[in-house]
Amino acid sequence: MDSFANYINTLRDVSGLPFYPWLFDILLVFTFTCHILLVNLVLGGSIVLLWGKLSGNPYGGRLSRSLSRVLPISLSWAIVLGVAPLLFIQVIYDPFWYFSSVISAWWTLAFLALIALAFSLFYVYYLRGGYEGQGNPLWVFLALAALSTVAVIIHALSLQAVHPERWSEWVVKGGRVNFSGSGLYAFELPRILHFILASVAIIGIFLMLYARYFRARPDYPSEYLAWVERTGARTAFVFSLLQAGAGIWWFLTLPRTFHFYIHPLFLIGAGFGITLIVVLALAQARPSAYTWPVTILAFLTVFFMSYAREALRMKYLHRAGYSFADYPVHPSWSSTALFLLTFVMGLVILFYVGLVAFRAGRGHKEVGSHGLGKLAVTLSCLWIGIMVVIGLVISFKNGALP
Amino acid sequence: MYPIWEVPYFSSALIIGLIASFHILPSHLAVGAFWFNVYIERKAYREKQLELLDFIKRYTLLILIFCFVFGSLSGVGIWYSATVASPRGISALIHNYVWGWATEWVFFLIEVATIYVYYYTFGKVDEKTHLRIGYLYALAAWISMIIITGILAFMLTPGKWLETGRFFDGFFNSTYWPQLFARTFLMFGIAAVYALVVATTLQNKAVQYKITRLAGLWGILGFLIGGLMTYWYLKKLPEPAQDFLFGGTLPYLKTLLYVSGISWVLALLYFLLCGALFPRANTLAGSLLLMLILFFGIFAGEGLREGLRRPYIVNFFMYSHQVVAADLPAKGIQAETELLSEAGYLSRLGYLPPELRKITPENQVEIGRILVIHQCANCHALSAKGLRSLPKLLSGMGMTDPEDLAGFLEGLDGYPYMPPFVGTEEERLAAGAYLSTLVENK
Ligand code: HEC
Repeated sequence: MDSFANYINTLRDVSGLPFYPWLFDILLVFTFTCHILLVNLVLGGSIVLLWGKLSGNPYGGRLSRSLSRVLPISLSWAIVLGVAPLLFIQVIYDPFWYFSSVISAWWTLAFLALIALAFSLFYVYYLRGGYEGQGNPLWVFLALAALSTVAVIIHALSLQAVHPERWSEWVVKGGRVNFSGSGLYAFELPRILHFILASVAIIGIFLMLYARYFRARPDYPSEYLAWVERTGARTAFVFSLLQAGAGIWWFLTLPRTFHFYIHPLFLIGAGFGITLIVVLALAQARPSAYTWPVTILAFLTVFFMSYAREALRMKYLHRAGYSFADYPVHPSWSSTALFLLTFVMGLVILFYVGLVAFRAGRGHKEVGSHGLGKLAVTLSCLWIGIMVVIGLVISFKNGALP
Repeated sequence: MYPIWEVPYFSSALIIGLIASFHILPSHLAVGAFWFNVYIERKAYREKQLELLDFIKRYTLLILIFCFVFGSLSGVGIWYSATVASPRGISALIHNYVWGWATEWVFFLIEVATIYVYYYTFGKVDEKTHLRIGYLYALAAWISMIIITGILAFMLTPGKWLETGRFFDGFFNSTYWPQLFARTFLMFGIAAVYALVVATTLQNKAVQYKITRLAGLWGILGFLIGGLMTYWYLKKLPEPAQDFLFGGTLPYLKTLLYVSGISWVLALLYFLLCGALFPRANTLAGSLLLMLILFFGIFAGEGLREGLRRPYIVNFFMYSHQVVAADLPAKGIQAETELLSEAGYLSRLGYLPPELRKITPENQVEIGRILVIHQCANCHALSAKGLRSLPKLLSGMGMTDPEDLAGFLEGLDGYPYMPPFVGTEEERLAAGAYLSTLVENK
């Protein structure tokens, strides 16, 4: 084994993995997909809000009011959904993620500070008249600028992580090691464009869903909703095309040796992407008939493209002699079960909460489903009860109590 | 080993400490506040005092913005700052407790979902449903505390895990229960302080005084029981930690204990006087001042909790300079201290170019600098000013000669609060050579 690959293996955590790596990998991709969709919604939403607000079109103005409420909520979701992939990436790709973060430590922290800033600005806009149709668009513009910087930072961190062959030259200059953590070292225009253009495409699809959802509410004029729907379908179509263009550009810059064009995950993702574009083209004439096909196709495209991104990461890291398949595993069945059971339980609870939100948003005051609601509360209490029993048994057995 | 992030003047550990202390305020508010909220909401429906709802709306907005903007981000901030300050430390935690965090994450999702639904459906859904959403939030938030406390307590008292390496053996350890109860009750006090702040902004005086009184009572109860639990916690501390704190090995820890003790007493007095007894005396300035005092108390308390773990990140298992200190045969882990004292610390610095991995007279000082940054910068500033400045401490001890300094490094583990210097004789000399330049250029 060459000495650099050896070094990377000494970086791997000494404790090994508490379960087989494929599970972490699937969870990583799945949660990343959810995360990136929300990120798209926030970025695309701020762009459309500004456009709607500044265009002078009354429908655009109305749309910007709705979006002023959507943005902070989506940013919350983007953050909380980002926690999971951040966790799983550190489990199976720890050497790369940590190295990249340490050498850009200040940026890593600035990343969070900028998100906090953008978040506050969204709230300032929303609470100071944005929802009533006033509000100063400057706040949203600044938030968008902060979030774009955030995108550049996380882009650089991810890219630094897959280029271990360059770490040494980044850190050591003229025989002196730079420990300041103030540099940011990698940037690829097509790659970041491929993330940013997707945002506008995704917000287009979101607008189609928005129009469909609010059709049930008498206080939303149908001409307005039809306009939103048309605009959404057009935006989604145009930006999906641009997105494909950026994707092809990125694809052409990849190292030849990867043979990425025959990678099955990439081909599946590209297949869904092309189908999505075709369906979006068809949808232009009568968008309302295509809302669901478009939504489902978009989700599948993003999911498989996220998987392809994962495959690409593996290609890069293979070059450095790394594969998570060799990671030592010491399965912790009890804690794996704890998570999986809790996850299922969480989905039940989230389903109930989502149902309440859905019905309330449509204007129903009596939301019903009280049985499900009681189940959700009972499950939470049961969770606590079971943990306490397990905890007491173990504590007394190990002498941690009394 | 990963490279190091050297923070001028402060040390990286202090950055984590600052973010972590800040995080306590929103996070404990996020957990505690909703119990107060649903309590008041239930009261409002039962006693048909719908004007109380006005308070709840404001209070929820505060939670929404403060906890979900600054709380969630500072939470990730602790994690990020630990990542860049001590990657192998956070890695060890994650590789043992990833499913714990993943489980906690499920409850984060529930928290985000329920808080927004709660806030935006005020008056738009039936009372029963609305209250239930509030309960779901309160339960999820408390469960997230049940989980994170296990991981935090594990770092100080890993207990049986040191033999078995098993998740729950480390999780339900000897300081788990006291810490869980202390946090649980203290969080009611924190929630009460916020309620006192929000109450001063209410227009309706009758409602204002009613809320103030209730908040005062919650605060008194929470802080009294929380204080008792903290006492139990201190009693359960492992022996070295007891020595640091009460034996006078690290006098500053005792000062920190006094600071948090005093802020606890002041808070109790405020709850009693300006809350429960004379709600008129509660003012915006007063309650904000109380929050500031509380912040200092928490900062001191967290600093104390971190200080007690010296010189480890995970007690008895990994040193704060990220070297594994003990064997854990259950996971095939070998202590690295002796290993690297023979093979050399440089053998693990694979990110360095070849010319920096063999000590020569030309590169000796630079390599010494690298070693010192790796092994000392987490706790000491290398500048003449700053936190526990090395040049200052060393010259205070009157040491300038490289060989004396290398000798000092050899005996470093004689200090109970510092990890041993890990490396070969040659590496110690290089570090000594660099340290002597530090003292001379002071
Ligand atoms: C876990 C954190 C930590 C690490 C790592 C650490 N120290 Fe310390 N060191 C301390 C603390 C705490 C003190 C006590 C400071 C005080 O009394 O104010 C201290 C004190 C000292 C002193 C003064 C001793 C005295 O008798 O007053 C010197 C010299 C010193 N450290 C050198 C080093 C060197 C050199 C390294 C790296 C090889 C190092 N330390 C690594 C925490 C650390």
